[in-house]
Amino acid sequence: MILNGVEIRDSFAEAFPMVGTRLIITADSAKWAMIAAKTMTGFATSVIGCGCEAGVERVVPESETPDGRPGVAVLIFAMDIKGLKSVVPNRIGQCVLTSPTSACYAGMEGGESISIGKALKYFADGWQISKMVGGKRIWRLPVMEGEFVCDHDTGSVSGVGGGNILILATSRGEALAAAEAAVENMSKVEGCIMPFPGGVVRSGSKVGSKYKGMFASTNNFYCPTLRAQTDSHLPPEVASVMEIVIDGVSFDAVAACTKAGIEAVVALGRDKGVVAIDAGNYGGDLGPFHFKLREIMA
Amino acid sequence: MSGIVLTPRASLESRVDLSGVLPGAGVDFARLPVFHGGRKVALGDLFTASGVDDGRMTIEGGDALLDSVGAGLAKGEIVVKGDVGSKLGFGMTGGMISVKGSAGAFAASEVSGGKIVIGGDVGEKLGAAGDGSRRGMSGGVVVVGGSAGARAGERLRGGVVMIEGDAAEEAATDLIAGTIAIAGKLGANAGRGMKRGTLLLRSPEGLCAGFGDAGVHDLVMLRVLVRRSQELAAFMGASVTGARRFAGDLYSGGKGEALIVAG
Repeated sequence: MILNGVEIRDSFAEAFPMVGTRLIITADSAKWAMIAAKTMTGFATSVIGCGCEAGVERVVPESETPDGRPGVAVLIFAMDIKGLKSVVPNRIGQCVLTSPTSACYAGMEGGESISIGKALKYFADGWQISKMVGGKRIWRLPVMEGEFVCDHDTGSVSGVGGGNILILATSRGEALAAAEAAVENMSKVEGCIMPFPGGVVRSGSKVGSKYKGMFASTNNFYCPTLRAQTDSHLPPEVASVMEIVIDGVSFDAVAACTKAGIEAVVALGRDKGVVAIDAGNYGGDLGPFHFKLREIMA
Repeated sequence: MSGIVLTPRASLESRVDLSGVLPGAGVDFARLPVFHGGRKVALGDLFTASGVDDGRMTIEGGDALLDSVGAGLAKGEIVVKGDVGSKLGFGMTGGMISVKGSAGAFAASEVSGGKIVIGGDVGEKLGAAGDGSRRGMSGGVVVVGGSAGARAGERLRGGVVMIEGDAAEEAATDLIAGTIAIAGKLGANAGRGMKRGTLLLRSPEGLCAGFGDAGVHDLVMLRVLVRRSQELAAFMGASVTGARRFAGDLYSGGKGEALIVAG
């Protein structure tokens, strides 16, 4: 399949089940809501090294937030519910509770409950105040700046982690420009995050390593400088590859996000240095979710 | 409103306990046993019952001698087109009760869910613990269009109580948790023994001596409350951001509060 001169390779992204939740973080200003959200979702690019994958889903307008202030929706994913229950209150406690003027609310209902205020209330050392209104319990924690307000818990969802696309381009700059365009378009799809820096991975990995104890290592088949030394998957004109990893609350959300990313890259076309779109997989035997690029773009 | 309609056959001469007279039970209303004075009689002796039991019930006329209207209601709706006596909605867990007139003592006592709206005044111990009980209302919403008698919210454990008129003396005595909003004047010695919970007031006048002024604060929580409770939004205004906070009763732990908010 060739779209605007860009080859859509006959490949698929292989993704895995993850458990996720959404939080709404608000603050007195959009600036501080985003600071809290970015801090809270920092160091959360890959479960392999971070214990979870997290990112900003979207900016939430004042009219939609529980307290009428500017907000940001974040999604957090872990491999299992136990892991999610561990990382969520820990990250809120260190990164949102501490962030000036912030508050934190449940962003989804249903599924297994994830404690947020229920776990954080002890910071208030007995001065915490709970309020049950409208069927929801909320906590107020007195802090030096004023009060930190946080919902008692949030819901969870069985999601999908590890959707991805690979952008093959004729230079590093063109690969990054295409990736940036893709991330911008993908960010419009609700229910998904791209957890790596700026949404882009410059160091996609393969499973395993020659070194004992390494679970993942550089994907040498897509490293342009190793073309002469490995069974390269890159055509001669490709000098750089950028990956975009996608986690979402459902298969459909990840599929829609994948499509949005490819469409943005295709819009740039071969004239902007994009040679092909590929995807990372492990042969199809490990992950139950397969995002076939050509089917998505059909 | 359709559903079952109860119409008094004549003026009542003594108190009637309507415990167990609830919509949606699929029973023959005329045969339901009720206490009239000291005697057990059939409901049909006192009221005519017409209509279909579709989960709604209307009591035409109303009377201050009708006790325990809607006691134990779990679902459905009751409308009383007049006054009721004591223990309105006692122990209610869900559903809706609307009283166009006034209610007697112990209205909404030990309610844990649902909503009660009373157009007129209520007697003493609104939402309070019943005789011999340790805890009052623990959930749900009660709105009183008029004023409340003494000790409103005594030992309240949760839920939202909204009093649009005045509250007589010793409101919120021994309050455990929950929220009481009082738009009118507060009687003397309010909040005595209050352990936790929130009073939303227009003025601190009437609070007992155990309340200490913590100053004026921008409270994000107020913004949340008005978005999650239409009653509190009506009380505080949708744009509320701050309040003057009094903590109390400091002689009983002092973890309750009275927030003074503008209307």
